[in-house]
Amino acid sequence: MVTFLAQRNSETIPLIGMACTAAMLTTALYLIFVWAPNELTMGVVQRIFYFHVPSAFTAFLAFTVGGIASVQYLRRRENRYDSLSVACNEVGLVFTVVNLLTGMLWAKPVWGVYWAWDARLTTMLLLALIYGGYLILRSSIDDANRRAICCAVVSIFGMVDIPIVYMANRWWRTQHPQPVMFDSAGGLDFNMRVVLYCTFVAMCALLWVMVRSRSRLEDLRRESDALRREIYAR
Amino acid sequence: MEENLKWLWYAFGTAWILHVLYLGSLSIRTKKLQQQLQNLKALIEENDRKT
Repeated sequence: MVTFLAQRNSETIPLIGMACTAAMLTTALYLIFVWAPNELTMGVVQRIFYFHVPSAFTAFLAFTVGGIASVQYLRRRENRYDSLSVACNEVGLVFTVVNLLTGMLWAKPVWGVYWAWDARLTTMLLLALIYGGYLILRSSIDDANRRAICCAVVSIFGMVDIPIVYMANRWWRTQHPQPVMFDSAGGLDFNMRVVLYCTFVAMCALLWVMVRSRSRLEDLRRESDALRREIYAR
Repeated sequence: MEENLKWLWYAFGTAWILHVLYLGSLSIRTKKLQQQLQNLKALIEENDRKT
């Protein structure tokens, strides 16, 4: 899958792909605001959950693909894997920030506070900080090969935090609600589950569009650096 | 109910604004780099012509 994602047949994102993504996001919004039933105790504010949870899983997916691309880069030293890795990690960070902010805006009316230092929230914040550090590191190293190697190592290290975030509310007693996605206990209504999975698919499509655009940007930057080196060498 | 609705709109607004801002920043960065690339290529061609 990583090799497939690293291969880009065309320069621009296919129009049909963007149209499908827009259609999926519109459908997800319809399902969230119109089709999904109202939760009895929390009321309408529970609908934040349909954006909050898929954002986290989309971020996990992006960081995992970014981590695997980094492993591939270290094995093969092909620039396309480095481009895919930086694209996935940057876009993953956007989804992580969305997850953290929507979580805070859900927590205020439900818990009475924006933030609680419990294991799930803290490990998620740590994940955002690791990938924020990754981007700072990336912008601070001038040598392209050294930058790619150092960033690949950080990306692989960051991937280790994903299972810790996922398992945090199973391993420790937390204020965060218990897991409902991929959970055999099935604490979620069928209609709610449908909306949740549809939103997750729509977000994965959005992730694909963003990763393609960001990878292309990285390729352009590489091309620009090569031309600049050529000018200086003359 | 209305009080909770406010938080729902804040959350969805924040999520969408972040995504749109990121896509916008990608578009601006891509355009800037394309412009830079064109300038660099023009500079190389000019140097080639001189030599």
